Parts: sequence; structure tokens; C-alpha cells
Amino acid sequence: MTPLLEVHHLTKFFEGLAAVSDISFDVGTGEILGLIGPNGAGKTTVVSLISGTLMPNDGELMFRQRPIGGLSPFQRARLGIGRTFQIMRPFPGLSVLDNVAVGALFGAGSERRGLARARGEAAHWLQFVGLEHRAQQRADELGGPDRKRLELAKALAMRPRLLLLDEVMAGLTNAEVNDVVALIRRVRDSGVSILVIEHVMHAIKSLSDRLLVLHHGQKIAEGAPDHVLSDPRVVEAYLGRRRT
Amino acid sequence: MKRLAAWGAAAVAAMALALVPCIGSPTLVQFGISTLLLATLAQAWNIIGGFAGYASFGNSVFYGLGSYGTAIAMLRMGWPFGVGLALGAALAVVFAVAIGMPVLRLRGHYFAIATLALAEVMIAIVSNLDIAGRNIGLVLPLLRGDTMFYELSLGLLVLTTLTVLWLSGSRLGFGLIAIRESEDAAAVVGVNTTAYKVCAFALAAFFSALAGGIHAYWITFIDPASAFDISLNVKMIIMAVFGGPGSILGPVIGALLLASISELLATEVSTAASLFFGFIIVIAVVFMPRGLADVARRLPQLRWRYFGDNVRTHRL
Repeated sequence: MTPLLEVHHLTKFFEGLAAVSDISFDVGTGEILGLIGPNGAGKTTVVSLISGTLMPNDGELMFRQRPIGGLSPFQRARLGIGRTFQIMRPFPGLSVLDNVAVGALFGAGSERRGLARARGEAAHWLQFVGLEHRAQQRADELGGPDRKRLELAKALAMRPRLLLLDEVMAGLTNAEVNDVVALIRRVRDSGVSILVIEHVMHAIKSLSDRLLVLHHGQKIAEGAPDHVLSDPRVVEAYLGRRRT
Repeated sequence: MKRLAAWGAAAVAAMALALVPCIGSPTLVQFGISTLLLATLAQAWNIIGGFAGYASFGNSVFYGLGSYGTAIAMLRMGWPFGVGLALGAALAVVFAVAIGMPVLRLRGHYFAIATLALAEVMIAIVSNLDIAGRNIGLVLPLLRGDTMFYELSLGLLVLTTLTVLWLSGSRLGFGLIAIRESEDAAAVVGVNTTAYKVCAFALAAFFSALAGGIHAYWITFIDPASAFDISLNVKMIIMAVFGGPGSILGPVIGALLLASISELLATEVSTAASLFFGFIIVIAVVFMPRGLADVARRLPQLRWRYFGDNVRTHRL
């Protein structure tokens, strides 16, 4: 089966510093790929390059077997790439419901959707993430965990085929992390492929089908979670070299 | 239900306004024409400034292009007024699209500054065009018909407001609001931000130009400095923001109210009128920075605390 997303030799420089250098990987249909690595490894940069908010210096992106490197963020969104932001970006002045309705109104295959229907779908997604009781509140009145849920609902309302989740669990309690993990599984079961960046190790280990480890912008390991996490290079990247 | 009542009231008010020329004095009708045109300009600014959140200082250029388009069509080509209006509007829309593509890439203050320069540039260009009468200006044929101009202005205001009403429930309007609230987030949920912003700019240009055309034919004289007057742009912003940017009726009510206050002050305390007017604006900004629309929404719940809250939350 051909993968949903193919990343070939992706490279991005920030003023001479290679934030991402020569990374290649695939995301299969219905797969959850975990992207991990120490701070500053280039994880968020990879997500931004895929969603189009950053343009690469080199490399090729194929989504649904067509090149998307030249497309702007909104075109990629309409093709079916949804993302959340690590630093949450709700539409602060809009109600929680309307925040999600924007996603439903403009996401994949939304050309003929009216506002009323978009709000109806938004209500569904709010229920899905457990935020329906906050529907009429302004988005900037939400606390941290609820903002994370809103970010997720907004992205889901776009009906993406590929969902890029940038640290949706950071700062959540253990119970909340378990909720979100269950949520992400349900999303995957509906046929969505997911690329997830996370620091909560036990969560990403149980969630991911495969793990990809970045360090200083380079791919240092890829494969089954257990296998990858016992790789000496990965241990070294996280904990430093063992003294002999 | 409440919404319906508001619209009923607005419709009744519009009909009452339509009757003003039958009963009002000529002075009142003249005041009415200039106020209705100002309200139209405030409402047009609301589309780009209130919905999309791009504080444009280029709307007086659209107004000026509407004036000159109409005047040139009538004087140089001998076309009727209606065709002149269409030419002026077309000029402004083309200008908005052409200038909007590069300028709407700028955000916040940079956009404001870039549009601020447009008026000066237009004055310099038009002052050197023979077809536009250089810096002497153009004199249009005289038409005594204040009632016609009044009803035309009212009709334009209603049309502009209905457009904003449609906008507020449409995909386009929602996209613009999303851009205002967070442009990057809007792009990644699939809003074609560039196209939407240019569209809002063009809509604002269309209605501003029509107002300019009507005003030119009514006043019968235009010159570069008055047609591209930047203080007119400041007026529309004050009126729209006073009324409530991003709301449907706010800019109209703000314009009617402020114009009336200003006119009243000018006749009652003529010498210090602008001082009092400035004072009112300052008070309004301190106590109701989100405009009349927000007062109407939240005052019933909060009562007088509303004003205190505003002062506190905005650290004034």
C-alpha cells in the first residue's frame, strides 16, 4: 500500500543553522507515527514544513501521491492536512463553538457547507473532545487543558486525512493524558493518519505504531517503539553519553 | 426574537429616515446627505477594518477615485451620472485589488502606514493629470435635487448594511473574522487568507467609491486635496470604532450619533466645538473601548459595572 504522506530529504535552515537536515520518512494510512526527540531537535519545524507554515530549503513532500511542496497552507488544509499548534492559537474573540465551526467551514471538501451545518458539525466535535458544556464561552476564557481540547476539536472539524498533533498533552494531568490518548485512538480508528509530537513518554510509547527520533535536526532512529527506545543512540540523545 | 426586534426597529428607522426630505428643512436634508454618506463610509470601513481587522487608511482613496471617476465620466465623456458612478466604483475596485495584493501582506501598523501613504500619492498623481483638471479640480454640472441625493445616499447606506448583514452569516465573513482573530490559525484551517482579504478590500472600495461619486455630483466641485482627504478616513474609523467594529449596525449608529453630536456642538458652542467633540471621543474610548455594539450586548447584565470593568481590563 502506498503511504499517505511521503517525506523525502526534507531540509530547513534558519540563518545557516540546519533545523532539519535531510529527513525522509512515510506516514501510512491509518497509522500513528510518533515524533520524539530532545528540545530543539526540529520536531515542530517538521510539522510546520508539512502543514506549509514554513517552506523547506530542500526536499520533497508527497501527499496522496501528489507533490504538495508548492502549495500554501490553506491549500494543504483543504487537501486534508490538519494541525494543532504547540502554542495554542484559538480565535480568541469567537465562541468555542464558532472556533470549531471555522474548521468545519473551511476544512477538506467544505466548499458547499453553510454556516448552520458547520455549527452543527462543530457541536458534534465539541462533544467528541468533551467540551460541549463550554460551547458558548469565548475561546480566550478557556483554561490550558480545555484549550488543548479546543485545538484538537478545531483540527478534527476540518475532517483531515492526516492530523499533525504538536504536544497536545503537555501540561495535562495523568488522567487527562489518558483521556487524550483514548481520543486520539478513536480518531485513528475513524481512518485518520496521525503524526504526533509528544514529550509524555509513556503516552507516546503506548500510542504510536512507530516512532521516529530526531536529534539536532537529523533522524537518528525509526521503528517499533520498544526497539527504538532501547537504541543506544536514542538513550544517548536524551540522557547523554554513558561514562566508561 | 431579540434579533428580529432589532431588525424590525432598523427597518422602521430606515423608513422614517426616508421620509425626512418630505418634512425636514433644507438644512436638515443637507446634513442628512453628508451624514448618510459618512455612515456608508464607516460601514464600508467596517468590512476591511472591523471584520478582517485590517485598519485601512486607504479608504479615502477609494472615495476619491469614486469622485473622480464620476466627474471625469460626466465631464470628459458626457456619460450620465449612473454610468459615472459605475466607472468610479470599477476604478476603485481595480485599484483595491491591484494595491491590495502587495499591501495586504503587511500586518498591523505596517499595513496602516502603507495605506496612509496612498492618499498622498494619489493627490500627487491626480494633481498632474489633465483629464482630472490637475490641481484646480473639476466642476460638475449643477443639479438642484437634494431629495434625490438624500434618497440615493440612504439607499446606498441600506445596501451597504445589507451586504454586511449577509457577510456576517457567510463563509466569507467567517473567514474574515478568523483572519482578524488569528491569521496563521486561519490559514491552517483552510482559509485562503490572501483572496479573502483582497475581497474585503474590494468590497470596501466599491461602497466607498459609490459614496464618493454621489458626494461629488451633489457638491459639484472636487479637487485633489478634498477628494483624497485623509481626515475623512480618520472620521470613518472613529465612527466605526465608536459604534462597534465587526458588528452589523454599530458603525451606522456610531456615525449617525457622532455626526449629530458634532453638528449640535458646532451650532450651540461654535467656538469650542471640536474641543468638546474630542472630549466625548476620549470618554468613549476610556469607558466603552469596544464600541456601542458591545455596550448594547453587555450593559443589561453588568449595569454600571460595565464601565468600571472596561477601565480595569484595559488598564486605563
